[in-house]
Amino acid sequence: MFDINELILKKAKEIGFGDVVVLSYETQRRQVRFANNEITVAKNWHYQKSVIFAEYEKRLVSTELTALDEKTIEETLKMLFKTAKAMEPKKDYYGIAEGPFEYRDIPETFDKKIVELDEPNEYVEIAINSALEEGAKRVAGVLYTDYNKLYLTTSNNVEAFDEGTGIEISVRAFVDDVASGHGTNSVRVLKKFDPESAGRKAGEIAKLAVNPEEGDAGKYDVIFDPLAFANLLSYMSFMASAFAVEAGFSFLVGKLGQKVASEDIVLKDVGNMPNAYGTRKFDDEGVPTQETTIIENGVLKTYLLNTSLARKYNTKTTANAGLTMPRAWNIYLEAGDYSKEELFSEVKKGIYITNVWYTRFQNYVAGDFSTIPRDGAFLIENGEIVKPVRNIRVSDNFQRILESIVALGKELYHIHWWEVRTPVFTPYVLIKDVGITKATK
Amino acid sequence: MHELVEFAVEKALELGAKYAEARFEEHSGVNIVMKNGNPEGLGIRADRGIGVRVLVNGGMGFASTNVLTKESVSEVVKKAVKLAKAASKVRNRPIEFSEERFHEVYYEVRMKKDFRDYSGEEKMEYLKLIEEEVLNSGVNVPMRFLSYQDWIAHKYFVNNEGAKVESVIPRVSITYNLVVFEEGQVEQAPFVKTSFTGGLELIEKAEPWKRALNDVKALQRLIKEGKKPPEGKVDVVISPEVAGIAVHESVGHPYEADRIFGREAAQAGESFVKPDMLGKRIGSEVVTVIEDPTIPNSWGFYLYDDEGVKARPRYLIKDGIITEFLMNREYAYYLGTHSNAAARAINYDREPIVRMANTYLAPGDYSFDELIEDVKLGVYMVSFNEWNIDDRRYQQRYIGREAYLIENGEIKHPVRRPILEITTKGLWSSVDAVGKEVEFYPGTCGKGEPGQGVPVWMGGASARLRDVVLRR
Repeated sequence: MFDINELILKKAKEIGFGDVVVLSYETQRRQVRFANNEITVAKNWHYQKSVIFAEYEKRLVSTELTALDEKTIEETLKMLFKTAKAMEPKKDYYGIAEGPFEYRDIPETFDKKIVELDEPNEYVEIAINSALEEGAKRVAGVLYTDYNKLYLTTSNNVEAFDEGTGIEISVRAFVDDVASGHGTNSVRVLKKFDPESAGRKAGEIAKLAVNPEEGDAGKYDVIFDPLAFANLLSYMSFMASAFAVEAGFSFLVGKLGQKVASEDIVLKDVGNMPNAYGTRKFDDEGVPTQETTIIENGVLKTYLLNTSLARKYNTKTTANAGLTMPRAWNIYLEAGDYSKEELFSEVKKGIYITNVWYTRFQNYVAGDFSTIPRDGAFLIENGEIVKPVRNIRVSDNFQRILESIVALGKELYHIHWWEVRTPVFTPYVLIKDVGITKATK
Repeated sequence: MHELVEFAVEKALELGAKYAEARFEEHSGVNIVMKNGNPEGLGIRADRGIGVRVLVNGGMGFASTNVLTKESVSEVVKKAVKLAKAASKVRNRPIEFSEERFHEVYYEVRMKKDFRDYSGEEKMEYLKLIEEEVLNSGVNVPMRFLSYQDWIAHKYFVNNEGAKVESVIPRVSITYNLVVFEEGQVEQAPFVKTSFTGGLELIEKAEPWKRALNDVKALQRLIKEGKKPPEGKVDVVISPEVAGIAVHESVGHPYEADRIFGREAAQAGESFVKPDMLGKRIGSEVVTVIEDPTIPNSWGFYLYDDEGVKARPRYLIKDGIITEFLMNREYAYYLGTHSNAAARAINYDREPIVRMANTYLAPGDYSFDELIEDVKLGVYMVSFNEWNIDDRRYQQRYIGREAYLIENGEIKHPVRRPILEITTKGLWSSVDAVGKEVEFYPGTCGKGEPGQGVPVWMGGASARLRDVVLRR
């Protein structure tokens, strides 16, 4: 599709645009959804489109083209230009990255076997059966296969291509209405795909969660399963973006250089990580993706930036464009040195939360939020799981949670599913004195 | 385009589909974002494509493309049929659809002030009005995120059972996030929307800039004069906005038949409601909750759903009794009845699934003064920020943004963040009086995988809850 990109770029420059970015996609995506141990629907998507971002004297316009003939391209660009000319400038726009750049192949991001995979239903059956073997009665979930081609051309000497694949599964197993567990597995190459582990984990937790008792409100030491903590960390993708900070959607407002997490915490965005679901060779302006440390030893080091925002704040881009809004590729919390058993043995009286959903903020800038455990949650006494509990809610403050991390597991898990849209790498995490509330009538 | 859609259905039947539908959608419109006074950019939306859904051997397949050639559509139909066949092998029982009467029909929503006739700069004026009101309010509002959005959805739906439904529906919406800093404290009104099906005249009549001014003044007053809310058992009067989120979360969602039967189990979850709860009491006699896609100019408006079934008002709760679930054809079949037209898809590339449209608490006969006149101690919750509910829709919580103390029948000072954390049955059983006036508030309801955020209205009348536990 570079011929289309170049045609769009040429015409856009002729009309009088300044900075121009054309990002074209070809996508083949497949989904198999299942519930009650059977497939509910199987889907396939095919997209071919070009996203255009164009600037005229600091006036920014964008659109998405799905019809890619010369006439449509010309008409669209003329209309965009007319619109741009009538607008007021964005005073704090400072341009796009200057290419060319060199791109390195990132290992384990493309696998021809996934492209050629004819029929993924056997993986669904493996996941269902492994959950049933663990004691589940009903199994639901979703499997995806992905194949994307990305073509980027900009007016600043960028021409870049990336091709990626992926396969992933999310499995939720039920023993009864209120005893459930969840497991996921997301990879970029077929040989690393392990649907069985996702099914087993879902089944095991569901089995453990049978006959839950009502939980009690109070302050508890909480072990977050990677699935649960990934939900919270996925909000860092948005909250660490300089755009969200400016727009008042982040508790990190005004906190650069300040302590926002406990001393051991190192939180990164890694755009070029092998075998990670969010990995890409370059961002939306063509800057090669990189590893960016957002929080180092508890201190906020940087927001996520594109070139324009970086120039505004007199620093370098972190390769997270989004031309309007920078965002993370893969959020990565560095592991600690606790085994899972050691982590549990640290807890005298606490709760192990295996999954959460519906995280909502009362105040984004203050960071006050709550989130609801779903699937098995368990009371821990003297390092042992003593019983499953239900109907509780985590009600706390985001920064306080990060500051109260007391131990991290030594193994990282790659989490990406319906509730965790930016992929997250996190270990098991132990947090002191987490606020737990419950309904009272 | 019409031919291509009809071709897709014929082709699917030829390839062995027992049921086939094809839906063309074209969405065209404009997005404008302004942040802290700066225009961030203008996006033009021009998106179109065809989605095909089939049943083959009791399995369901769906495929879509945005390449609108006969070859490409033919390829898509083949994929859908192949996927359905393969899926049918991993099923315990075949998927069937309920019988319905279908129509050949065209409908559109007319705009008095057609947004296609106005430039981006003219639309930006609405955001500037919000800026002006807020900046001249005497309140310190350092962070202001404003956005304008309009689009026209042109759809053409055809199935092999006689449905041919074409519609043209314009939607227009303004959203803001305003962050107030006063006296070293921060409060915010996030994602506040004013949204309609129709033209710019509706935005101008609703005056979101006045609402923004009220919001920042209320937050300033909250910071300066706000006190702790009472704790423990009190009466709580909820506004139409709070009643709206409560009916949406704890009545609309758990009555979605696909949740009840477990299809959404791995995503949005299941439901505490079971099929045998039809006819059972869930709330007091004054509670009636209606779901109605046909309200003119509503954000959730449609007259035919995305399976071609004609829409009508649905009584989810009548006088406190569960009376009807939200259904598409698949789940209506399992329940041995007809669909009530709750199948919606956000675009050509999504399957239609069971959704709400406009959900509201039906009005009672109390004036607002009558609702509060015999409240000795309580809270009037006007708006909320944080809210959530468990995935069976039974344990919810709403935290007030703007809220006031009620003492001896009178509204007093603002109270900070009153927390109502309550079960669904507890909530609806506690209602002893419902107001006369109905208001609606727009939202984007999230469900489905991949996600399908659909426009909905939520609202209804104010309601009085007796003896509920309030926390702070």
